[in-house]
Formats: sequence, structure tokens, C-alpha cells
Amino acid sequence: MSSLLQVKNVTKRFGGVVANRNVSFTIEGKNITGLIGPNGAGKSTLFNMVSAVFPPSEGEIWFENKRIDALPSYKIAPMGISRTFQNLQVFKKMTVIENVMVGLHTRTASSLAAAAFRLPRSRKDEEFIYENAMEVIKFIGLEDLIEVDAGNLPLGKLRLLELARALATKPKLLLLDEIAAGLNHQETLEMSELILKIRDRGISIFVVEHDMDLVMRICDKIIVLDQGEKIAEGTPKAVQNNQRVIEAYLGAADEKELTV
Amino acid sequence: MRKGVQSFSWKGIAVFSALVISFPFLFSSSFYLTKATFAGIYTIVAVGLGLLMGFAGQISLGQAAFYGIGAYSTAILSTTFGLNPWLTLVISLAAPALLAYLLGHTMARLHGYYLAMATLAFGIVIHVLLTEWKSVTKGASGFFGIPKIELFGFTFRQGISYYYLVWAFALIVIILSLNIIHSRIGRALRSIHDSEVASGAMGVDTGKYKMQVFIISSMFAGLAGWLFAHMSYSISPGSFGLNGSILFLTMVVLGGGTSIWGAVCGALLISAISIIVHTAGSHVSFITSDFEQVLYGFIMMLIVIFLPQGLVPAIASKLKKQKQKSARANKVPAIGTVKGDQNV
Repeated sequence: MSSLLQVKNVTKRFGGVVANRNVSFTIEGKNITGLIGPNGAGKSTLFNMVSAVFPPSEGEIWFENKRIDALPSYKIAPMGISRTFQNLQVFKKMTVIENVMVGLHTRTASSLAAAAFRLPRSRKDEEFIYENAMEVIKFIGLEDLIEVDAGNLPLGKLRLLELARALATKPKLLLLDEIAAGLNHQETLEMSELILKIRDRGISIFVVEHDMDLVMRICDKIIVLDQGEKIAEGTPKAVQNNQRVIEAYLGAADEKELTV
Repeated sequence: MRKGVQSFSWKGIAVFSALVISFPFLFSSSFYLTKATFAGIYTIVAVGLGLLMGFAGQISLGQAAFYGIGAYSTAILSTTFGLNPWLTLVISLAAPALLAYLLGHTMARLHGYYLAMATLAFGIVIHVLLTEWKSVTKGASGFFGIPKIELFGFTFRQGISYYYLVWAFALIVIILSLNIIHSRIGRALRSIHDSEVASGAMGVDTGKYKMQVFIISSMFAGLAGWLFAHMSYSISPGSFGLNGSILFLTMVVLGGGTSIWGAVCGALLISAISIIVHTAGSHVSFITSDFEQVLYGFIMMLIVIFLPQGLVPAIASKLKKQKQKSARANKVPAIGTVKGDQNV
């Protein structure tokens, strides 16, 4: 059986700078895969290519046996890939429920004309969108805030809202871009519980994360990047004990164990 | 009613309709009726332009050209070729739509502000065409002898019947537009404003919807042109130049494009100002029709500096803030104080 996502020999250059060099890996179904590496290792670049923000310079990305690396980003969501943003890209002037409703955009198809004349098709879609958005919001635990404009939410709730909106697209693969950044200890713990719950619903998750605690606790597999290249791949345990990973993080070879 | 979701309410429409219906009983002079009929025609254009500016984030500086194409299509077809105005209505809607499609299509999915430039040029070209293509448009002196609209033997003449005809169309346009913005497509359009990259990640084809809204706005302008042509006996290119486009722009900027009612209010306010200037002009000698243009420019400047969102959205957000404030005073656990690390 082939993997859910296949990244094959991907290289990305920005002018003369090589952000990723010949990176290959796969993501399997119903798994949590982590992507870690020191600052400037090329994690975000790789992440943006998988979510089709920009295409790779060389190499291919396949999702469910379809090549996706040349597609515009709006075609990725209906295929089953959704993402959150590290720098928070919520729709500030829309309420919490409306934000999540945008996530349901591709799961409905009624046209502008159907909307203008409020044809039965459009009404049915509106009902479907609202009900499903509510369901996701309850799952995430934001039901008390549905009427609040997203711009008025504190950071912890914004991260949850991003997660809810991404889930509303009903992804097969969920990409989480530093979902725990800026969260306190308690909030990070709750977030990791939530991520595990999402995985148990049968959704594969790909996380870029700085919080080692979180990564080591939830990931089934970890990919380590350093200076644009993949230097290790394996279970959290194996990666923690990998000599090259320790060197990349600590810059020296005499440490016995990676402190996490 | 769905909690937390902007949705269509008949209340606003009912109140507004009542005002529209009662106006002729309060102001029955033909001067006011004519002005109020024009206000309805302008409302149709402004609502379309408001959709484009406030929801698709695009500016059209050529809306008067679509208005003119709607007017001249029906004038030529119904006068020169003797077609029924109800039949030519289809052309008055289709011709602007087709041109908007072609214009938008060449504009690489309407990215950035290229549309503003393209429509500016388009507006100038159309104005020149209307003026110089004398064999068809009869040139600058104007196109005469446009027939009246008839329905089941009833003829709509300038005055009270035409006022109601125009406002019936205006109300339909308002309702259609409200329906659009309260749908999945409306939310998609609003989301583009806050974060185009996130809209894309949610699967919103931003280019497609910008294009559709541009086409709709051109069709509304075409409809307004159709109504304008059959209201008067004659039309001339002067009504469809750059000044007209700027006037429509001023209405939307004044009222606020991010709300349908904003565009409506903008159109009504500008019409009211025009009445005031005319009335003042008959008493004070230095107030001429040029004075209006200066005034509109001045209003636009003030709005852009002090109320960049426009009147209606500014008032609405103020009301909302007040409501939240009072809600916060009444309820104990308030929004915004749920941050866990605040009570350290």
C-alpha cells in the first residue's frame, strides 16, 4: 500500500540560497509525524511546499497518488489537506463560527446565483455548513465564544480557532505549523491531548514544532532537518539518541544525551 | 436565526420599503420625485459597486461606462430597431456582463489594483465611443425618442409610476445582494479581506469570486442604465463619463462598501446633497452645478481621512462596541479575560 503523502527528492532554492536540498520522506495514514530541526533548518519552507503555498524548485510531492506540487493552494483543501498558520491567519472581522464556516467552503458547492435567489440548494448548504461548524466547535471546545469576533480572542483561543477551521475542511492530512507557539504549559498539554484525539478520529497529522516536549510525547515518527537536509528519521526514542541529531542541536559531539 | 452568523433579516428590508413607499406621499412635487427616482437608479449602481469594493476588494473607475452601455443598448435597440424594452433589458444586462468578463479575464485573475486602471481606461474608451460613433449613438447631442416601458397596457411615465418601478428594481437588487453576502460565497469574499492566504488554504478560489462579483456589479450598472434610458425621452454621453464613475465611487466610499446598506445610504446621501445644492443654488448666485463636484471631492477627502470604512460600518462597529461593553458590565465572566496566565 502506498503512503498518504510522498515527498520525493524535493529541493527549494530562493535565488542562491538553498532552503531544502533533496529531501524525501513519507507520511502514513492515521499517524502523527513531526518535523523538527534547529532554526533556519528549512522546516517552514518544506511545510509551505506541502501545503502548496509555493512549488518546489526540483522534486515531486504526491498525495494519495496524485501529484500536488504544481497546484495552486486553493485546490489542495478539497483533496484533503488542511493547515494552520504559525503567524495566525484567522479572519479577524468575522465571528468564531463564521471563521469555521469558511472551512466548510469546499464541502459545499451552491453557486452565486443559487445564493442570490436563495434556491433550496443554497439553503440546504447553509444549514449543512452551520451544523457541521457547530460540531467542530464543540469538539474543539469553543462553543461559548461563537459570537465573538476572532480579532478579540486571546492567543490560546486563536490557536484553537485555527485548528477548528482547518478541521472543518474534513482533512485526511492536517498540517500544524507551530500550533503550541506562545501557549503556556497547561494550554500546551491540552493542545497535545486534542491533537491525539484528532488522530484517533483517523486523521493524519504533520507537525512542525519547537516544543520538544510536545513533539516527543505525541509523534509516531519524527523527521529531523538540518541546514536544509534530512539528517534523521525515526521514532522519538531513536531520534533522541541519534548522534547527528545531537550534534545538530548542540553543535558539539561530546554530549551524551539530547536534553529535551 | 443562527447565533453568531450574519444573516438576512426582513426587518431592515421592511422598514426601508415602508420609507420608500411613503416618500411620494410626503414629497409629491415633481422635482423631489425625479430626484428620488434618480436616487433609486444610483442605489442600484452603488450596491453593485459596493459589492465589488467592499467584498471583492477591487475598485472600478468605469462603472458609469457599464451604466452607459446598459442605457445605450436599450435606447438603440428599442428606438432604432423597435424592440420591446422588456426584451432589450436582457441585452442591457448581458452586454455589460460580457464586457466585464472580457475585461476581468485579461486582468490575470484580478490581482492587485490593475482593475482600477483597466476600468478607468475602459470608461474613457466607452465615453469616446458614445460621443464619436454618431451613426449609431447620434453623438454628443444625445439620443432622442426613447420609448416608454409598458406592462399589461400600463405605461410607466416619469413621475410616481416610474419612481415605484425604479425602487421595485432597487429593492430586488438590495435583496439579491444581501442574499449573496450572507451565503458561503459572501463569507468567502469577506475572508479574502482578512487573509487571502488563509482563504486559499481553506479552498476558496479567490480569483473566481472576484470575477463573479465584478460581473454582477456590471450587470447592476446595466440595469440602472436601462431604467435611466426609459425614464427620460433622451440620453447623452455626458451622463456616462468619468465624472459619473467618480460620483458612484463617492457614494460607496461615503456610505461604506463593506455593508450593502452602506452603499444604499451613500447613494441616498449624495442624492440629498444634490437636492440641497440645487435648492441653495436658486437662492445664492455663486452656487452652480460645478459647486456639486467640489463638494463631492471635499466629502470624499473627509471620509477617507476620518472614516475610512465609511459611515454605516463605522456607526455599526461603534454600536457593537457599546453593546459588548454593557454586556461585559452585566455578565461576570467576560470575553478577553480568559487568558490563563493573567492571574499570576
